[in-house]
Amino acid sequence: MTPAADIPLKEPTVSAAAGDADQLERARIDASTRVPVLMFYASAMVWLLIGTLLAGFVSFKLHSPDWFSDVSFLTWGRLRPVHMNVMVYGWASMVAMGTAIWLMARLCRTTLRHPLIIVTGIWFWNIGVVIGVIGILMGYSTGYDWLEFPPYAAVVLFVAYALIISWAVLMFRFRRGDQIYITQWYLLAAFLWFPWLYAAAQAMLFVVPVQGVMQAAVGWWYANNLLFLWLGAIALGTAYYMIPKVIGRPVYSYHLATIGFWTYALFSSWTGMQRLVDGPFPAWMITASIAATILTIIPVATVGLNHHMTMQGYFPVMRYSPTLRFTVFGAMSYTVFSVVGILISLRSTARYLHFTEASIAYSHMGLYAFFTMIMFGSMYYIVPRLVGREWRYATLIKLHFWASVYGVGLMSLMLLVGGLTQGADQNDTSMTFIESVASVLPYVRGRTVAALLLTVSHFIFAFHFGLMLFGLGRTSTVPTFLNPVEAEGSEEHL
Amino acid sequence: MKGLVSLFIGLFGTFAFSWLGLTVIPNWQIGALNPQTDEEGADAYPTPKSGMADRGRRIYAANGCIYCHSQQIRPDYDSSDIDRVRDAGPSPGPKWAERRSAPRDYIFDRPVVLGQERMGPDVANIGKAAPTEEEKPAAAPPANASANSPAPAQSPPANASAPKPGTSGSPAAPANSPAPPVAAANPSRAASASPNPSGLPLAYSEAWHHRHLYSPRSMSPDNRDSTMPAYKFLYEKHPISGERSADALQLEGRDAPPPGWEVVPTYEAKCLVAYLMSLDQSHPLKEVKTAPGGAAPPAGSPPAAPAGSPAPAPPKK
Repeated sequence: MTPAADIPLKEPTVSAAAGDADQLERARIDASTRVPVLMFYASAMVWLLIGTLLAGFVSFKLHSPDWFSDVSFLTWGRLRPVHMNVMVYGWASMVAMGTAIWLMARLCRTTLRHPLIIVTGIWFWNIGVVIGVIGILMGYSTGYDWLEFPPYAAVVLFVAYALIISWAVLMFRFRRGDQIYITQWYLLAAFLWFPWLYAAAQAMLFVVPVQGVMQAAVGWWYANNLLFLWLGAIALGTAYYMIPKVIGRPVYSYHLATIGFWTYALFSSWTGMQRLVDGPFPAWMITASIAATILTIIPVATVGLNHHMTMQGYFPVMRYSPTLRFTVFGAMSYTVFSVVGILISLRSTARYLHFTEASIAYSHMGLYAFFTMIMFGSMYYIVPRLVGREWRYATLIKLHFWASVYGVGLMSLMLLVGGLTQGADQNDTSMTFIESVASVLPYVRGRTVAALLLTVSHFIFAFHFGLMLFGLGRTSTVPTFLNPVEAEGSEEHL
Repeated sequence: MKGLVSLFIGLFGTFAFSWLGLTVIPNWQIGALNPQTDEEGADAYPTPKSGMADRGRRIYAANGCIYCHSQQIRPDYDSSDIDRVRDAGPSPGPKWAERRSAPRDYIFDRPVVLGQERMGPDVANIGKAAPTEEEKPAAAPPANASANSPAPAQSPPANASAPKPGTSGSPAAPANSPAPPVAAANPSRAASASPNPSGLPLAYSEAWHHRHLYSPRSMSPDNRDSTMPAYKFLYEKHPISGERSADALQLEGRDAPPPGWEVVPTYEAKCLVAYLMSLDQSHPLKEVKTAPGGAAPPAGSPPAAPAGSPAPAPPKK
């Protein structure tokens, strides 16, 4: 008997007949989050598709620059920031807020009050992203990374955020039970850090602008912390909920979780300046960030160890559960992403990898392989509980998973190796500069193939999600397993 | 409840630590620099850019030039930025830089566009690479080199100063490509031979930048791998009414406008080029070492930082 045979793959689906008070309460809480969370997910999916198409466009234009280059709003230099901002504010932030609100309601064991206010916030957020995108396309980009939206779009986003998150924090105020689970720490932290981060960056860049190179420092400080303290924190919190939940086993060690959380907050918030290595800055800033990057090995090791020990003996469940498969892949990618981050931040490697495509590989490992995969996993868990249907096709889930894994893997590989080639050529003064560009072109073409794979993956998922949204999922008490025969066979032993 | 209070204090504390450490304290250190002057208070560097160049920087940022071009030179002990020469122009081309960049170089820049990637070359000193007034006549044997460089109508002074014999029967003449369009459009200059084989404007001159922006891959045979997008939307194509415009682009082959038409830069393109021409970090700074053999720093300006120290510590307030 395999270990997988012993465990419930998912808590039994709620049914009134069960009569279990706990489950009824959970169903009531889920129902209260239904409209806002599904709206978050639906908006995020639309932005994901737009961002994916833009990514393919941008990737293709990088090696075929004459394609649609004569139209001002289709020029590469405007589409690229649109892609980045659509992905960060349209897809990532919205899916993160959706999952976070659902988790918050579940963990606080309280229903979501006044969901309509959150719905208003979602509308505002979408409008803010649309305004920002139009602003960039019209040529009003601010020129700061991840903050390209014109400041007036940021105001709309801020109002939206206040509407959304104040209710999530209120839920925490009205929670039942005194115990605070580790996921709640991450979520609360992200909810509080993001507005401070966003406000500080906006203030220091647009309201009371800082002088000269300090703008670049503030910009990278913001971009880095947006990845770690906002999106990364929500992803880690989600993984801490999903992995124990799906395998039905408590987290291995709360002590490790505490260490992992505080070292994460402390060290990852100090990284970022290594992106400015050898730039016109006092060396201590960059060295401090490199040191902090190296120290992130502590949260990576503790979080990784904790997840690993929790999963110990339960890895076969990944064969059946879509949620677990995506989440564990994302959690593993967090380790890989951080180790790559440490390696490329060292001065000896930065000498070759600074100013190359490798930094794009790094961003995608963080935003996609780590964050987005965990969010996909959470959607596979949450959506059936909101619409009362199960995912229709196990094949589509598998296709989605493998296309994503191969897509992001190929992209990271291409850009890291391409970046090394590019960097080595740039440091070789016997070669002309254009030769360094020529040497990276094959890898950039390879990246376009990866973009195609990811496009396929996202359209498959969007189709599947659309089926669920329109009530076309399976009506069943058994969740959709990736390998249904074996899974059902194993359930017979229960 | 006690745990909750310490949780909130911890969340605020860690974030405040990072905020103070990476933005507030550095801002206190390098956020209020003044231009450097010599003992008499003259020779101030840097100085604010002109209105056109300043607007050009916004166009540079808004059209995403920053995603491929950096504007920061790394120190020589950690990169070969300072040893690198530019691809275009007579060999050896102009150097990328004489010294590393320092915070003081950017004190008037808003937005600051340091860049993060180099799919294109660094442009921190691209304005310095432009041909100087002395270089123009001396650049090539046919001395009217500037005839089809900057704007033709502005060139007559240079033209006039060029020795006449160079115009006709110059040794370079046989190598010329078919006469550049300007020759056809303006018969009075039909005799003027192009100074370089491809009929290009002098490297990194204003006319060169305009043509490069309009058609990056037309610049020279080895520039075909360039991945720079063409910025044709910054230019206007319209029929010539009367006299040919002074700032019309010199274009050949597929890019050439039909006869009777011309391509002229819009005001935005002019701002962008004015900005590029203004990029120059060659002025020595007291806090950084200038490469030996580079633009000689004024005597008695000791490098504040020892060679091994990457800190461009700005002692001046």
